[in-house]
Amino acid sequence: MPTDNPKRLLEYLAEGLVDDPDAVAVEQFEEDGGTIVLELCVAAEDYGRVIGRGGRTAHALRTVVKAAAAGEGSHVLLDIVD
Amino acid sequence: MTDQGDEGEGIAAEDLDPAEALEELLEEIVESLGLGGEVEVEEADGILTGRLEGEDVGLFIGRHGQTIDAVQHLAQRIVFPEGPSSVRVVIDANGYRQRRAEALCAEADDAADDAVSSGKPVELDPLPPFERRIVHEYLRERGDVDTHSEGNEPERYLVISPLP
Repeated sequence: MPTDNPKRLLEYLAEGLVDDPDAVAVEQFEEDGGTIVLELCVAAEDYGRVIGRGGRTAHALRTVVKAAAAGEGSHVLLDIVD
Repeated sequence: MTDQGDEGEGIAAEDLDPAEALEELLEEIVESLGLGGEVEVEEADGILTGRLEGEDVGLFIGRHGQTIDAVQHLAQRIVFPEGPSSVRVVIDANGYRQRRAEALCAEADDAADDAVSSGKPVELDPLPPFERRIVHEYLRERGDVDTHSEGNEPERYLVISPLP
């Protein structure tokens, strides 16, 4: 049974990374087959902070959020929406 | 307590020193991964180390260390948001970094032996910057090879060349 653990962790990490934590928003959708899709929105000037040089920070966010989902047996995809 | 309702807004909203911020961040991640264990933070020689000691840290480390390396990357940027910091964040779990460094050095020794015996440069698999540094420093002490890095992050890799 999926929880909102991965979503809460993503919000927490994103708020830690950005200059404007109030603008962080995460939407959660469930796809057929049980995959969870998380859509991350941040303030326009904060996209660089969550993507990072060469996409390293986005990659790190994906890796950690996937681990949180794997811990409860679910599968998660992370979209950074702009 | 301020009137801004910032409680629970994450580390950036709070006035924590780096060690406290790192400890809070790790507690949050460990809990979100559904793991138990003890989180410890210590600072020495410009390195802020966050350590997880527990029975089951496999999920926290991940395949080839990809999860613990991701946590380390995020922790550096969250704890020191102003950019390149003189303090480096290292995340460890049950002695993983030491075991990993020993494995990297053993692999590097084999590759350096190949380079010396063949007289040709040998390329290693891509490594993150802090692991490339371990290999550079280790092989410099051998004295019979030269090392440099090629390629772009995150696919940057070491090349070991025999010294003439």
